[in-house]
Amino acid sequence: MAKPFHELRERLLRAGVAPRHVRRYLTELTDHLADLRAEEERAGRSRADAESAALVRLGGMDDLAKAMIEQRQFRSWSARVPWAVFSLTPLLLLAGAWFVALFILWSGWQIFLPGADTPFGAGRVYGFANLYFQAGKALYFGAPILVGWGIGLIAVRQRLKTLWPMVGLVLIAGMGGTSQVQASRTAVHGGVGHIRMDFALGTSVHGLPDGLMHALVILSLTMLPYLIWRLQKARSLSA
Amino acid sequence: MTVRETNPNFMNGVPELLILRLLQQEEMYGYELVQAIRDRTDAVITVGEGVVYPVLHGLEQDGALTSRRKTVNGRSRVYYTVTPAGSRRLADLSKTWTNLAAAIQMMLTGGQHGEAIP
Repeated sequence: MAKPFHELRERLLRAGVAPRHVRRYLTELTDHLADLRAEEERAGRSRADAESAALVRLGGMDDLAKAMIEQRQFRSWSARVPWAVFSLTPLLLLAGAWFVALFILWSGWQIFLPGADTPFGAGRVYGFANLYFQAGKALYFGAPILVGWGIGLIAVRQRLKTLWPMVGLVLIAGMGGTSQVQASRTAVHGGVGHIRMDFALGTSVHGLPDGLMHALVILSLTMLPYLIWRLQKARSLSA
Repeated sequence: MTVRETNPNFMNGVPELLILRLLQQEEMYGYELVQAIRDRTDAVITVGEGVVYPVLHGLEQDGALTSRRKTVNGRSRVYYTVTPAGSRRLADLSKTWTNLAAAIQMMLTGGQHGEAIP
């Protein structure tokens, strides 16, 4: 991307224009600038003069930014409905990931441990069965962190203020930290096992409830990368 | 009571009208389009050339234009074409502007009650 458009890109992103629309706009402006410069050079100007004249003809930074910002349909969802993007959507994503993880646990229980009363350590499993259970476990514990990283990436990419991303991260950490899974067989012999999910702070360890500790770990693992990405972006822009 | 549509801003719709009119004749890319506007209006209408793109993108989003990337002389360019919906929009805009221009002309010439302003 041409250097003159760095500032324009930042202004558009901060104004809430979706990154894909910003990218396309700047690509076409860059092509247009090259055409104008070539035209000015053909007219006998030096390269530096041609560049200056081309920039003037292209339009001032304020006009270029205003023309795009006024088109409301180019605003990103994060700018239009931040509460939905950073709180509702992450929670739905987390719920979806947990549903898959619990389905893996339940189906693995039925397939590989049909006689066991619980899928947790009821019998030792090896090979593919072990891999199957581990995949579910990784999804269950990894989902809050992945969703949190997603929140951070979107927020940094779109130059958003910290409020809504932080709300999302805290919600995800709270959900992830306090979730508990329980599994049991029905009283009937050979009954289908069922899996239940609860949210609780749990028992205290060193004066802090287990769930709160877990939530703080998730919050650290998601908020730290977000803050680092923000810092890196701010540094690269000021350089 | 009949409520009539108002014209909130006289210049609203001018870039759209010019762009749709030019693109109806042939597909063009942004730079080409701006030069065509300048040439065919004898440079009476000149804008910061870059501001044509938000209008083009907006029209495309509304379904009035389609775009395709084409490589010409080693340069990749985005060419725009009018869709049937764009043609209908052009017809509506043309009608509005013809009426508006006629009304303004009537005002300037004093209409049916007066004489032309020297």
